[in-house]
Amino acid sequence: MSTAAVSESADATASRAAPTTGKKEPETRGSWLRFLAMLVITAVVLVPIVAVVLLSLRPALGSTSTAPFTLENFLNVFSQTEVLTWLKNSMLVTVVTVVVSVAVAAPAGYVLSRGRSQLVSGFSLVLFVVQSLPIVTAVIPLFILFAQFGLVDTLTGIMIIYVGSTMSVAIWMMAAYYDSIPISLEEAAWMDGCTVFGSFLRIVLRNSLPGILSTAIFSFLLAWNDYLVALVFLRSSEKFVLPVGVQSFFQQNSTNWGLVMAVAVVMMLPPVILFATLNRYFSVGGIGGSLAGQ
Amino acid sequence: MLPEHDQDESNASATHHDGRDRGAPAVKDVRQVSTPTAGQSLTRARKGVAVGGSGPPPGKRKARRPGPSPLILLAFAAPSLILLLLINLYPLIYAGWQSLRDGSLISAGDFVGLENYKDVLTDPVFWQATRFTVIFTVVGVFGSWAVGLALALLLKTRIPFNTGFKVLLLLPWVVPVVVSATSWNWLVATPQSPMPILAEALGLGNVLFLANPLLAQITVCVFKVWISFPFMMTMMAAALASVDSNVYEAAKVDGASKWKTLKDITLPMISRSTYISWILMTIFCVNDFSTIFLLTGGGPVNATQSLVVLAYVTVFQNFQTGPGVAIAFLMTFVLVVISVVLYRRIRKVQIL
Repeated sequence: MSTAAVSESADATASRAAPTTGKKEPETRGSWLRFLAMLVITAVVLVPIVAVVLLSLRPALGSTSTAPFTLENFLNVFSQTEVLTWLKNSMLVTVVTVVVSVAVAAPAGYVLSRGRSQLVSGFSLVLFVVQSLPIVTAVIPLFILFAQFGLVDTLTGIMIIYVGSTMSVAIWMMAAYYDSIPISLEEAAWMDGCTVFGSFLRIVLRNSLPGILSTAIFSFLLAWNDYLVALVFLRSSEKFVLPVGVQSFFQQNSTNWGLVMAVAVVMMLPPVILFATLNRYFSVGGIGGSLAGQ
Repeated sequence: MLPEHDQDESNASATHHDGRDRGAPAVKDVRQVSTPTAGQSLTRARKGVAVGGSGPPPGKRKARRPGPSPLILLAFAAPSLILLLLINLYPLIYAGWQSLRDGSLISAGDFVGLENYKDVLTDPVFWQATRFTVIFTVVGVFGSWAVGLALALLLKTRIPFNTGFKVLLLLPWVVPVVVSATSWNWLVATPQSPMPILAEALGLGNVLFLANPLLAQITVCVFKVWISFPFMMTMMAAALASVDSNVYEAAKVDGASKWKTLKDITLPMISRSTYISWILMTIFCVNDFSTIFLLTGGGPVNATQSLVVLAYVTVFQNFQTGPGVAIAFLMTFVLVVISVVLYRRIRKVQIL
């Protein structure tokens, strides 16, 4: 962040110097050309997303309405389908996953950041390997295990798996953030007789809000968007979360696009709102950001 | 990403707290990070800086200080270790054991040795899936990298509404795959969809994107690039931002062409981030289930079936647990080897 700021200010200096060499005119024209190019590219890229929104706002199938945009599809979806149940299930699963995942990753990330031994290196390696494994390998044995404990077709079952699959990346992300907090702050506290746990809570965690937010958003997206685990474990429609709900609804009503897209908008809205409000904490890469930071 | 403001605050409180001059060195560190010298910027540029944090301050790692005791660290890691054993390690071991049996989702079955592996490896469907997985991964990684890098380079220049574009272009990554797959289905799947109509209007005849095997493969790959390029764009933008602009000034003075500057200066300086993003995208692509399954379900006639989709179909649609787990386990084995080797290469500088 700070390096970026430095190079930006250097850019500014360079551009301020530019007029003296008489090159200002072609540069501005170039920048407007690039602006146009970006505008076209962005528009093309966003076609599928804009289409979802526009189709959901069209008059419902067989409706007499002539208005260009209506909320009929949404009214129909909420009154005739289980989408509210799915939304509630998705919210519950995602919130629990995020909270547990951060609560587990916050102390474990501290170990990765501050520990200096072969064991910690091994721990770090295991986490990296775990995050690269195909989840389908774990899903099959877990299905058999969960069947014995009655956890198939329950929200608890998929929460456990989501926590397990977000955890390794979450720990890495927290560790990468702790690395940027100087250990001298904690040492000062230890000198004063503060315990490691106390300094962790009062110094490290207190200064890690951006890191915690990034980790939470990462877990949120993973739990909210996952399709495979939900598809395997959830069987009855009142237990569905939105991904399986949207997909099953799509298969049953594939010609009624307005209705299908209304359900899709319901699913898309929470992550997009989160993104709009907290986009500076979005760590698109998750583990990528953590790795590149080292 | 350094919370400089916060840190200064806690430095101040620490100094105040013990009444000694403890805060001073830390303040100096912070200042060092915020105004790096050209040499430091070069080092940092090569390492790359991203959202996860700007990494440890240089020189901090080596210093041997009294830290938290191993027992406390173990207590900190305990919850994650338990979950790791239960949700990640146990299934892996169980899957290995299961791949040697002819069981089902309900019964354990009998021990059959390497029979499942033999069946899988002699099945042409497996090799077809392997072939498509490789194609999908290569196109997914390099396609999204090329697009992402081009956009990152474009956005690095002065453009009005720059930040707005950056945010909007991340949407394909933020929108759930289920939603975008539904939308892509609307765009390409039926004869009434916009894309086939467009193709017809352009005189290409009746194009059925998901019914023709080759076109379905291309469509799935393009869909994957569409989803993944924001990841690459962000990784590359973060790496580019950490390249010192003085380097470009020097290149300009030396009269280097734009292409030469890109090839000989920019790319080498962001090579580390590039390498890491390739590795991660490879892992994402190989493990990708929903992108393919939601758009084509692996069809037509298995043309877009990747190994993950094949493993899923074998177990949960054909109910052949043994062979399905064997496929998953073969993938797992390859991925473990790849990720251990790559991990060592990435981190060797630091600890290993």
